[in-house]
Amino acid sequence: MDQYQKHIRNFSIIAHIDHGKSTLADRLLETTGLVARRDMKEQFLDNMDIERERGITIKLQTTRLHYRARDGEEYIFNLIDTPGHVDFTYEVSRSLAACEGAVLVVDATQGVEAQTLANVYLALDEDLEIVPVINKIDLASADPDAAKAEIEDIIGIDASEAPLISAKEGINIEEVLESVIRTVPAPSGDPEGKLKALIFDSYYDNYKGVVIYARIFDGVVKAGDQIRLMNTKKKYEVTEVGVFAPGLTPVEQLRAGEVGYICASIKQVADARVGDTITLDNAPAETALPGYKKLQSMVYCGIYPAEGEKYENVRDALEKLQVNDAAFLFEQETSTALGFGFRCGFLGLLHMEIIVERLEREFDLGIVTTSPSVIYKVVMNDGSELMIQNPSNLPPQTQIHHIEEPLVKANIMIPKEYVGSIMEICQERRGVMTHMEYITENRVTLHYEIPLNEVIYDFFDALKSKTKGYGSLDYEMLRYERSNLVKLDILLNKELVDAFSMIVHESKAYARGRFVCEKLKDIIPMHQFEVPIQAAVGQKVIARETVRALRKDVLAKCYGGDISRKKKLLEKQKEGKKRMRQFGSVEVPQEAFTAVLKYDENK
Amino acid sequence: MKPLGLYIHIPFCKRKCNYCDFLSWGNTKKEDHTAYVEALLAELQYYADQDMLLDSVYIGGGTPSLLERDLILRIMEGVTGSFALSEDAEITIEANPGLLDLDKLMAYRRAGINRLSLGAQSLNDEILHFMGRIHKSNTFIDNFYLARDCGFENISADLIFAVPGQTVELWIDSLEKAISLGAEHISFYSLQIEEGTPFYGLWEKGAMKAVDDETDRRMYHEALKRLKNKGYVHYEISNAAMPGFESRHNLKYWSMEEYLGVGLGSHYYINGTRFSNETNLEKYLRISKGVKEGREVCNDPLSYLAPWVVWHHKNTEVDEISEFLFTGLRKIEGISLSAFEERFGKPVTAVYENAIGKHSRTGLLELNMKEDRLRLTAKGLDLFNQVLVDFV
Repeated sequence: MDQYQKHIRNFSIIAHIDHGKSTLADRLLETTGLVARRDMKEQFLDNMDIERERGITIKLQTTRLHYRARDGEEYIFNLIDTPGHVDFTYEVSRSLAACEGAVLVVDATQGVEAQTLANVYLALDEDLEIVPVINKIDLASADPDAAKAEIEDIIGIDASEAPLISAKEGINIEEVLESVIRTVPAPSGDPEGKLKALIFDSYYDNYKGVVIYARIFDGVVKAGDQIRLMNTKKKYEVTEVGVFAPGLTPVEQLRAGEVGYICASIKQVADARVGDTITLDNAPAETALPGYKKLQSMVYCGIYPAEGEKYENVRDALEKLQVNDAAFLFEQETSTALGFGFRCGFLGLLHMEIIVERLEREFDLGIVTTSPSVIYKVVMNDGSELMIQNPSNLPPQTQIHHIEEPLVKANIMIPKEYVGSIMEICQERRGVMTHMEYITENRVTLHYEIPLNEVIYDFFDALKSKTKGYGSLDYEMLRYERSNLVKLDILLNKELVDAFSMIVHESKAYARGRFVCEKLKDIIPMHQFEVPIQAAVGQKVIARETVRALRKDVLAKCYGGDISRKKKLLEKQKEGKKRMRQFGSVEVPQEAFTAVLKYDENK
Repeated sequence: MKPLGLYIHIPFCKRKCNYCDFLSWGNTKKEDHTAYVEALLAELQYYADQDMLLDSVYIGGGTPSLLERDLILRIMEGVTGSFALSEDAEITIEANPGLLDLDKLMAYRRAGINRLSLGAQSLNDEILHFMGRIHKSNTFIDNFYLARDCGFENISADLIFAVPGQTVELWIDSLEKAISLGAEHISFYSLQIEEGTPFYGLWEKGAMKAVDDETDRRMYHEALKRLKNKGYVHYEISNAAMPGFESRHNLKYWSMEEYLGVGLGSHYYINGTRFSNETNLEKYLRISKGVKEGREVCNDPLSYLAPWVVWHHKNTEVDEISEFLFTGLRKIEGISLSAFEERFGKPVTAVYENAIGKHSRTGLLELNMKEDRLRLTAKGLDLFNQVLVDFV
């Protein structure tokens, strides 16, 4: 080991949502003097608004800390923050691969959760040293001993030395740093060797182009080097290297064992994929680092400009998002109901929600999203196969031999009192339990094989609602399986509205159809005529509701003092009309598209 | 100069009705009334030097007939002191059954008031009680005859239908009684459950069910049929009158003619500008006091805002045009195409080509070039807002 490496520690923090990862990261920054408390917004590292609001980290933030330890030596910590959701497992695994250790934050009031566990396993897969930390010890309901016992029982690591902290109150933060120095090994790697650097994140900067976050495993990289990305095989000239201090701070070079950034005039993040290996073009490494994977979209939906919104605005915004998000795909599509729009692919539901929310908030766009869909494998009578993710593209039933749908392996961790109700919702969603395990006396993990198309609608909402928020879920792709699937269409005033079409299991078609009809009945305003709402499979109508005709819409009185006030009411009514989509002769409020997807406890 | 209308607001009632969201209070004292009328007189006085001619005056509320006889007389003196009145001016006072007597009625007559608008609302005692009215059916009938005896030849009866619990038959019964009394003018309003009223509270709690729209419309169309049979002219969505007894004052609102308003919270429209007065009683009184003590300068309300005005808006051409239709189409005869073109310099069919086309197809509007009219159809009377959203 080279001398400089002895004082480096590369680690990340693993925690369940709400268990205090970001708060701890903030405290570490503060303790090491990087950010004065008065300059800090809450949770400095989560710098997207949505993240802050939801208390989750989506985009990685990495920072370098300097700490003078109790042994009198100065250490450099590279804190690699990981995204905190099941949709981003691959990104998490790559950031973990850049570390030698991980701080595991466990909430002293809640214990270990499914997602925490998933990430701990990822860390163990990467041979990381785990530093357990018990957080929120300031709360009255904290039970640190139980939390420690859970860590030992479930994960099988010694938690007896785990620092008891409160990130919120700033209690025992230094213990965490000391513990990292003791437990996490310094990086090794040969600075004289051939360059091997792992890309674990990237983002687009208007001035620098793509900023690559990299861990150098061997060799050295500096401005002027010709680099090659070993998987995409693309070549670039390095314009700048630097470290996160926490802002981008250029340095002369990055050496084996260090973590930093590399800029090389790269135009979009898709060209510098997470997991790829950087090497020098004139002295390339023989093999790439293991683990590279191209991201696969699991969930699709249509995104359309809302009434009065420009198609170009939506396209520009999607392009901007894509520059920074290699996992997000989109292409143009047309809906007879909604006109020109885009088919978009996401890693999962949360990823989809985040993109939609960012379009609405950051870009201030009015958009309509259609029912999410997974990718179905359609085997035709002639033996050919089609991959279909837009229900409207499903060929006629007569040409289809059979359809296969993706199954996922879902691990659901819940307190034991909810086992009954969760088994019920899984069963309703065609889940098959493979096994159930008691991880502690009170906590259970249910292992299910369940069709992804059942997970993407409202499963997560249902799980949260049935377990008072204590249930957690992670899932991974398992296989395709033949299934009895049908296309469910919705007709308004006898006309098919393609944007509402969805592919569902035959056994669910009736219930789903009825649910959508009832929802639409509540949402579609009265028209001058009766509006029949029908759900149909093929030619067969399986559910029907009717919006009664509007009989009266008139102000009884309008005298001198009423004119301005009542005109305002009408202007409001008109605004409401603007937010409607016209389908044939029927006007449908935009929110109808999301409402038909929402979990409804009473249905 | 074209004569103006004048609206005078009296914000007091004996008690507030369960459906009422107007600017008015129940349980007030006589001193309050006197103080208010003093303030009102100051506001009337404010316009004294402006040579304004009125052809309609409307004393509304609230319940003007709650006030002592002399207070109404002083208001009328204030009016005649500040304005010229055309010879045939229509002068209306709103009165509630139970708050009229011979003395008051005679005084009104002497003061030149020639039209009485009686708040009958219903001729069914249970419904009246439910609405929180202070009077009974017979009180209205007695007051009506008393007014006739005092020489009122133009009496309007206000009625409300679609009251929860009211059947179509009960409603028709009330209407026919009012017709048989010989009221020259009948207003018939579909009850609106307004926020902030006791009715709203009941409705929100689910303790009271609104009359369904089908029944509401049956009541409305039954009423129209009966009124027309008895010779009434249906001239505005909620108003009918014997020929020649249409309310001149109210027609000003629906024809975008100018009117002035005085009193708490009153509105007015002059020179394409809408104004509204202070709605806080104390502030209103304080402003008047200031004016009387000479702290405010008397001036033209158009170049200088009257001190009671708290809001005003100079209508743009778009505002003017949309309000012209918003109000004008309430009249059953609709708007005159040529009058529109004369006023705005372009044909209404050019301004609202799409909206007129659309609602001719939906069957809510009728464009009749030969008769020079754009008007609502019978169906349009029920769904006027559907038309209007395309015009505002």
